[in-house]
Amino acid sequence: MSNRIKKIKVGMASCGIAAGADELYKILEANGNGIPLEEVGCIGHCYAEPLIEVETDAGSIFYSVTDTKQATIDNIFNLGEASRFGISEIRAAKENVKITRLCGRISPTDIDEYIANGGYEALQKAQAMSSAEVIDEVKISGLRGRGGGGFPTGMKWGFMASKEADEKIIICNADEGDPGAFMDRSVMESVPHQLIEGMLIAAYATGSNKLFIYCRAEYPLAIKNLKIAIDQAYERKLNVINGKPLEIIIKEGAGAFVCGEETALIASLEGKRGMPRFRPPFPTDKGWNDFPSMINNVETFANVPVILAEGGAEYAKIGTEGSKGTKLFALAGDLENPGLIEVPMGITLAEIVFDIGGADRDSVKAVQTGGPSGGCIPVELFDTPVDYDSLKSLGAIMGSGGMIVIGQNRCMVETARYFLDFTHRESCGKCTFCRVGTKRMFETLERITAGAGEIADINFLEDMGTKVRSGSLCGLGQTAPNPVLATLCYFKDEYLSHIENRQCEALECPALVDVEIKQDKCIKCKLCIKNCPVNAVSDDFVIDNTLCTRCNSCIEVCPKDTIFRCKKGDGYYSG
Amino acid sequence: MANITVTIDGKQLSAAPGETILKIARDAGIQIPTLCHNEKISRTTSCFVCVVKDIKSGRFLPSCSACPADGGEYESSSAEVSDMRRSALDLLLSEHNGDCEAPCTIACPAHADVEAYVRAGRDGDFLKSLQIIKTRIPLPMSIGRVCPRFCEVDCRKNITAGEGGAVCINDFKRLAADLHYEEYMEELPELNGKKVAIIGAGPAGLGTAYYLRMQGFASVIYEKMPKPGGMLRYGIPEYRLPKDILDKELNHFNKLGIEILCNQELGKDVTLDELKKDFDAVAITVGCWKPSSMRTEGEELAAPGIEWLEKIARNGWKGKNPGRTIVVGGGNTAMDCLRTSVRLGSDNVQCFYRRTEKEMPAEDIEILEAKEEGVIFNFLTAPVSLRQGENGLILTCRKMELGEPDASGRRRPVPIEGSDYEVEADTVIAAIGQKTAIPDATIPANRWGDVEADKISQQVNDNIFAAGDCISGAATVVEGVAGAFRVANSIAAYLADIDPTTVHADPINVSRGHWRNMAIDDLVFLRNDISDEPRVEFDFLPPAERKHTMDEVSRTLTKENMMKEGERCIECSCTSRDECKLKEHSESYGAKPDAIKGEKIKAGYDNRHPSIIHDRMKCIKCGICVKICKEVVNENLLSIKQRGFSAKVEAAFGQPLPDSCSECGECIEKCPVGALDWKIKK
Repeated sequence: MSNRIKKIKVGMASCGIAAGADELYKILEANGNGIPLEEVGCIGHCYAEPLIEVETDAGSIFYSVTDTKQATIDNIFNLGEASRFGISEIRAAKENVKITRLCGRISPTDIDEYIANGGYEALQKAQAMSSAEVIDEVKISGLRGRGGGGFPTGMKWGFMASKEADEKIIICNADEGDPGAFMDRSVMESVPHQLIEGMLIAAYATGSNKLFIYCRAEYPLAIKNLKIAIDQAYERKLNVINGKPLEIIIKEGAGAFVCGEETALIASLEGKRGMPRFRPPFPTDKGWNDFPSMINNVETFANVPVILAEGGAEYAKIGTEGSKGTKLFALAGDLENPGLIEVPMGITLAEIVFDIGGADRDSVKAVQTGGPSGGCIPVELFDTPVDYDSLKSLGAIMGSGGMIVIGQNRCMVETARYFLDFTHRESCGKCTFCRVGTKRMFETLERITAGAGEIADINFLEDMGTKVRSGSLCGLGQTAPNPVLATLCYFKDEYLSHIENRQCEALECPALVDVEIKQDKCIKCKLCIKNCPVNAVSDDFVIDNTLCTRCNSCIEVCPKDTIFRCKKGDGYYSG
Repeated sequence: MANITVTIDGKQLSAAPGETILKIARDAGIQIPTLCHNEKISRTTSCFVCVVKDIKSGRFLPSCSACPADGGEYESSSAEVSDMRRSALDLLLSEHNGDCEAPCTIACPAHADVEAYVRAGRDGDFLKSLQIIKTRIPLPMSIGRVCPRFCEVDCRKNITAGEGGAVCINDFKRLAADLHYEEYMEELPELNGKKVAIIGAGPAGLGTAYYLRMQGFASVIYEKMPKPGGMLRYGIPEYRLPKDILDKELNHFNKLGIEILCNQELGKDVTLDELKKDFDAVAITVGCWKPSSMRTEGEELAAPGIEWLEKIARNGWKGKNPGRTIVVGGGNTAMDCLRTSVRLGSDNVQCFYRRTEKEMPAEDIEILEAKEEGVIFNFLTAPVSLRQGENGLILTCRKMELGEPDASGRRRPVPIEGSDYEVEADTVIAAIGQKTAIPDATIPANRWGDVEADKISQQVNDNIFAAGDCISGAATVVEGVAGAFRVANSIAAYLADIDPTTVHADPINVSRGHWRNMAIDDLVFLRNDISDEPRVEFDFLPPAERKHTMDEVSRTLTKENMMKEGERCIECSCTSRDECKLKEHSESYGAKPDAIKGEKIKAGYDNRHPSIIHDRMKCIKCGICVKICKEVVNENLLSIKQRGFSAKVEAAFGQPLPDSCSECGECIEKCPVGALDWKIKK
C-alpha cells in the first residue's frame, strides 16, 4: 500500500474519554502493529467522539469511531471510506479556528510539539519588546475579557502595570462554572502550554511575579495536563522572566459557582469562604492578600500568544467595532452538532445555530447565551451579530461562551425555572436580594409551572428580577434574573398561558399535560403497560391520567410512536 | 488629600475622600438604615437595606461600602430608594423564621405581655407579675376569673402537652391579683387638668378611666345602675365572679381617685350636650344591654336572658325556684341562665340550641360545668312558638340539620320539615344575644345597630369617643379593656391636638405559625429544662355541692402550684423583641412579614451553650458575628456555611460555642436580630 500510516492521534480530552476513547486507544494499540499512537486533546466536534486523526503520507484522515468492532478497526488501518469524519463546507466557511488551532492536533503533554508548532515564540517576541509595547499590542488587538465581563484586557493590563508593590499577582480564572460550558476545559486539556504562555506574557507585561491558576476540581484532566505543562515550562526555564523564575501555582476550587466571580475567587484563593465583596477597591488595587492582582480568564490568556504572534492590528481585523477576534462557544441543546466552536466576533446567531450547529430551522425557538445567568434570544432575532454589545442590548449576555439551543418543544417558563434552580442554589448567601430574592423567584416559577401561578406572579418576577439585578454585589446575583426577565420579555404569552389557561403549550410541564395513546396506530404490544411504573395504562390501552405521573416511560418505549403528551384535560381521567 | 464635595438628598456636603456614603450621610444627620453594618468590623455589605441611588448612573449602591466620587450625587429618601429598602426588608422578613411576640400575647385582645407575667410568677414574684398584668389588664381580679383565655387556645404547649395542655395562664392573673391587689398602687402622674366624662361603669368604662388616669387625665363615670361594674355585676353570676371580689376590684378605682356617679342615666339624669360642654371629651361605654329577639310567636312570654340575670343580680343573687326551665341559646349568657336556674333550685333545666355543641359559642368549660350540674342539652333544636298552656308555658320546637357554612363560618342550621314537637316549662329564657341601646339620638349607629366609630381611633365625632361592646357588639371583658386602652390613647392624643388615628402602634409580628400547623421539631427551646409536667389542675367545688350554692365554683390556685406551672412556659417570644433592628426598620419602611410568601429558614437552633442560644432561623446572614469574633475578639469561632438559601452561621464542625463565650457576648450585642442571644430573658 502506497499510503503509509505515520501516526494515529486519538482525541482524549474528557469528552473523548467519556465517549470511549480510552478503550479505543487500547484496541488501536493492540491492533496497530507498532504504529505510533498519540493522545491529543479535543478538536471540538463532540458529537462525533471518539475521534481519531490518522496521519498518512498523503495527509490526515479523520474517523469518528463510535464502536470497536473488528471490522471498524480494520477499516481504519486499511484507510477505508467507512466512518470517515469530515466537516461540512458551510461549517468550515463559518468557523475561524485560531485560538484552538492546536487543540486536538498536538499532544497536550509534549512541550516539544507545542514549540514545534510555534509555541512560546510569542513569549520570546514579547520579551524582546518593552512591557509597555506588549500592553499596547494587546490594547490594539481590542481583546476583551472572555470570562463574560468583556472588560478591555489591554486596559486592565495597563492598570496592573502601573501598580508598585512587593508582590504582583496574576490569576487565571479557570473556574468554568456555567453548566454546559467547556471552552476553558478544552483549552486546558488540549493546549495547556498556550495558557501558560499567555500568562507568562501577562506577567512580563505587567511586572507580576506570582501566577495562580484557579481551576475547578471537577477538571482533573485539565489539572493533570497543566501540572505537566508547568513542570515542562520550569524545566525549560520559560518561567524565568526578567531573570527571575516565576511561580505558577494551581489552586483547585471546591465547586462553588460564585468563585468564578473575581472577588470571591480571591477570597477562596486566600483560604477564606468564597464570597464576593463590594468593588472598588478593584483587585488590581487590592487583591490576593491585598497585593495588586489581575484576573483574566483562560480563553483571554489563550488569545494572548496569538495576538503577540500576529500583531494586535492583524488580530483586530476580525470582529466587529466593539468586539474583536474570535470567540469560543460551547454549543449544546437541541441541535445536530453540539461541541466546541470558534467563530469570528460578529457572526450571526443564525450562522452559529443553523450553519455550524446544524439545527433544524423549523424546530428552534430560541438560544440561551451566557449560561444560566444569560438570557434567551428568540429565533426571530437570530440575525443579531454575536458581540458583547449586541447581546447585551437584547437582554442576554455574551458570558463565557455557553450557548444552548432551545427547541420548539421546550417550555420557556420551565427553561427559566431550570436555570434559576441552578443560580439560586449557587448564591453564596451574602446579599439579601440574591439569597432570598432568587429563591422567591424560583418558588414563583415552580408554582407557575405546576399550574398554580397567579397573574400577580408576573409582576412580582419583573419587579423582583430588576431588584435582584441592582441589589447584588457580584455577577451571580446581577445576572441571575436574566433568564426570567428575558423569557418574560420575549415569551410572556407562555407565562400567561400557564397562569390563565393552566396550559403548557410546549407540553413540557408535567402538571399541565396529559398523556394519551393514539389508538389507530397502536399495535397492542403491551410495552407501555409493562413499563408503566404506576400501572396507569389499562389492558385496553388507555392511560388513566389520574394515575399517570407523566414520567414519559411509555412514550420512550413505544415502538410505533403512538403515545403522546396532549393538553391538560384532553387525556382520559377515571372517576 | 483635599476634601471632596458630595450631594445627598440635595444637601451639599464636604467629606474626606475614602469615606463611605453612609458615614458622610450620618455625619450630616441624614438617617440611613443598616443591618449588616458595624463600625467595629471591616465592611460587609450584605443586607442592602442601606442602598442609596447614584443619580448620575441611576444605579443603587450599598452606602455602607460605596465611597463617593467628587461631585457625586445621591438620593436616600426618594420613593424609589424606599421601595428598594422595603423590598430588601420584605425578603428578610419572608425567610425570618421566628416569633416577635409569643402567640399568647398576639392572641390576647389586650395584648398583655403574658410571657413576662408568667415568668415573674414562675420566679415567685407575683407583685411584679401584677405590675406587668396591669399595664394591659386593669381588672385583673375579674378577668383572672372570667376570661375565656384566648391566650391559652393559641399556647404552643398544646403541642408538647397535647391539646388542652396550655400553660394555665389566666390563673396567674387571678393569683397575682388575689395576693397583692389590696396593697398594690400604681405610680400616678400628676393630673393635667383635663377631664373626661365616661358613660357606663362596665369593663370598657372602667378601663378607659384607668388608662386616662395613667396619662394624667381625670374622669367621671356616669352609671345608670345603682352600683358600678356593668356586666361584671349584673350579667356575670355570683358563682363565677363573687361580687365581694368585684367590690375589691372597684375599690382600687376609688383609690385612683376615679369618680363614679351611680343612678345617672344618660338622657334622663344627664344629657350628652351638657357632658360635651362640661368635659374635654366624652367616652361612650354603655355596653350591650338590649336583648335580641327570638322572632317567634309568643316570645313576650319568655324572659330575655340578661334581664332575667339582672333581676336576680339586683336581688343579691337570690330568687325563687324557676321550676321547669328552658333556656334558648348557646352563648355564655345562656350558660349563666342555665346554671343560675340550677342554683335557684330547679331540677329540670334544659338548653335548646339550633346547631351542635361544636358550634356553640359558649366556653367549653361552661358547657362542661353546666352538664356536670345536671343541665340537659338539646342540640339542633330551634324554637318555633311559645304559648301559655294549662300547666305552664308550651314551647313548640323544630329539629334542625346543618347545611352550608354561613358568614360566620359556622354551618347554617336548616329546619327539618314536620319535625315539630312541644315541650312544657314553667320558665322560658331567651338568651340569644344582645344589642346596643344607643343612649342618645345624636350618636350614629352602624349597620348592626351598634355605635358607629372610627375603626382605628374609636372616635365617634367631635370630642365623643366610644369603646367596648357598644361599638363591637357583645364581647368579652378582656376585649372591653382592650378597647378602653385604645380609646384612652385616642382621647389623650385628641386632647393634645394630635390626630387620634396616628397614635396606635401597628407593630409587625413575625410568627413561626399556629401550633396546629406545627410539630415539636418546629419549636425553639431556649433551655432544655422546661417542665414537661402536665397542666396544673383546677380546684373546683364538686358539682353536687355547687349546685346548691352561689359560692364561687373555682378556687384560686396556690402560689406553689402556679410557680411550678410557670416552669412549663416555652417562652416563645423573641429574645431580642425590643431591640430587633429588622423589626424597627420594617416598621418604618412598611415592610410586612407576609408581603412575600415562601419557604422559611430551616437551619435549626443550638441551645447547647449554658447561657447562649443560637437561633439560626432568625439569622439574616449579615456576618457581623463572624467578623466580630474574628476581627475584634480574635477568636474566629464562627463561620458561614453552605450556599444559597441554606447558608447559615455555625461554629467549626457544628461544635457548640465554648463556655468561655459567656464572658464575651460581643456577637450577641451586635447581632441585629437576636439570632445570637442570651437565654435568660430580662
